[in-house]
Amino acid sequence: MVVLRTGLCPGLTEEMIQLLRANSIRTVVDFVSSDLENIAQKCSLSYKALVAVRRVLLAQFSAFPVNGADLYEELKSSTAILPTGSPSLDQLLDSGLYTGEVTELMGAPGSGKTQVCLGIAASVSLGLKQHVLFLDSTGGFTASRLYQMLRAQTEDEEEQVEALQRIQVVRVFDIYEMLRALQELRDRLSQQVVSSMGPLKIVVIDSVSAVIYPLLGGKQSEGLAIMMQLARELKSLAREFSLAVVVTNQVTRDSSTGALKPALGRSWSFVPSTRVLLESKETTLEKATTERVASLAKSPRQPTGIQVELNIENSVMPEPSPVTSTQGP
Amino acid sequence: KLLARLEGRSSLKNLEPYLFAEEGSPVHGDVIEFHGPEGTGKTEMLYHLVARCIIPKSGGGLEVEVMFIDTDYHFDMLRLVTILENRLAQRTEDVIKQCLARLFLVSCNSSTQLLFTLYSLENLFCAHPSLCVLLLDSISAFYWIDRSNGGESLTLQEMNLKKCANFLEKLVRQHHLALFATTQTLMQKSANSAESFFPLKCPHETDTDYRPYLCKSWLQMVTHRIFFSKQCNSGNSKGFTVVSCHLKRNQVVKRSFSVEECGVQF
Repeated sequence: MVVLRTGLCPGLTEEMIQLLRANSIRTVVDFVSSDLENIAQKCSLSYKALVAVRRVLLAQFSAFPVNGADLYEELKSSTAILPTGSPSLDQLLDSGLYTGEVTELMGAPGSGKTQVCLGIAASVSLGLKQHVLFLDSTGGFTASRLYQMLRAQTEDEEEQVEALQRIQVVRVFDIYEMLRALQELRDRLSQQVVSSMGPLKIVVIDSVSAVIYPLLGGKQSEGLAIMMQLARELKSLAREFSLAVVVTNQVTRDSSTGALKPALGRSWSFVPSTRVLLESKETTLEKATTERVASLAKSPRQPTGIQVELNIENSVMPEPSPVTSTQGP
Repeated sequence: KLLARLEGRSSLKNLEPYLFAEEGSPVHGDVIEFHGPEGTGKTEMLYHLVARCIIPKSGGGLEVEVMFIDTDYHFDMLRLVTILENRLAQRTEDVIKQCLARLFLVSCNSSTQLLFTLYSLENLFCAHPSLCVLLLDSISAFYWIDRSNGGESLTLQEMNLKKCANFLEKLVRQHHLALFATTQTLMQKSANSAESFFPLKCPHETDTDYRPYLCKSWLQMVTHRIFFSKQCNSGNSKGFTVVSCHLKRNQVVKRSFSVEECGVQF
């Protein structure tokens, strides 16, 4: 609620503010929603002056419409598709991770979400030579595993080191630290500081459920409000700075149908544009495998239900298994 | 200007007849709510409507201007372009851009900004008489944040949305618009229907997962409510259902559609 004060706009004098306040108009919203002819009479102020102030305030606080053709031009040049490092996953995602969107990887513990995230970080850093911001809230990020993946792809030690340097890891253990890290990112991108951080196109968050779970539950809606604030921040960062945002989430079972669904509830389910479910491949052998199955649960571009097989051992290497397309449940 | 308005008035009939229970819908002044859980095709349906509006008459469209208000950064321009490319006989860049020039987009990041933006848009509607369709995706995006900001008082929580709803009603009435707004199914339907304060007008509301939670000002201005759901047939991941209720005349119709590369198909 922005309160009316003299600094806001040139035509708004202290005298005017006092007169308005006497008629219970204190905030910008009050002013803009009221009938100006009425106010002009009651406060004996100039109608013209009031209209001018209203115009300036509206220009300051409202969003501006853009024309579809202009937006399309802009998007054509700023949208990029980032490879995940795994060709079959790229195929599932219709060529890769799109900037301007939030993509969610969901799966049970051990399904490979962190491995896929590391693979993505390695692929973008090494392959595209772009910077990566990795927010780790589970403690699952290990530099040695990342190094292993990089070594599998290139033997040039200098390249490996450079790739590692382009990945910035921030450990966050609660929602406020996460929001703060995102705010710092926003500040840095807004100022276009070209320091040690070069072009950043991707933010990986592993995981988002870890910081939100403690907030949910009970009758308070505070937790949901903070969760939606985080959602809003992620989406606006993705849009405004053309970033690809990847988040990981847990799964729960739907009580009525028994199907797997993403955790964090209904409100969160609207947030990502694309959702991929990671599962372990069913195997009769007892040994643990590195085989996983990824299915497309939500996509703005492809029909859902497509499945591919992944090998998370060396996520940056091409897998021999073909793409299988099935109609999902 | 008056002529342009009168011309525009008869043209919305063919926007999407499958969506409505009775013929001749929508008319200017209608407020249509799309309600449903995620992944049920509401935004796809909006893209379908946008395409129907902005495609020129020579291509089978209505050739009217559309305003799209996006409250949760959901709008996917590339998807809209794919739909247009699949529907136009001539897929050149120029034709696509001509169509897109009829679309106006604005993104709002809070209910306060939405309110201010609506006030500013008033001028745009005056300047563009052929702008007669307003799409809002979604009006429920700020629900939890507003609720938290309003503290204990329900009035304070709902204040912004109430002002938005009232002003939208004024815009729709004064400029003869048709408003389509999506609302998300954020809550589970309470098992005890006596808990809801609003009597169920539509018999199908008992089937669907509908629990009204937005402010009364909004609920009272809605003329048509359309419920979206996914078809649960095995092997059909592209099928969706709409149940369309005309709230004043109590007419209901149920239809299905699928989402293809070219968008919604009934």
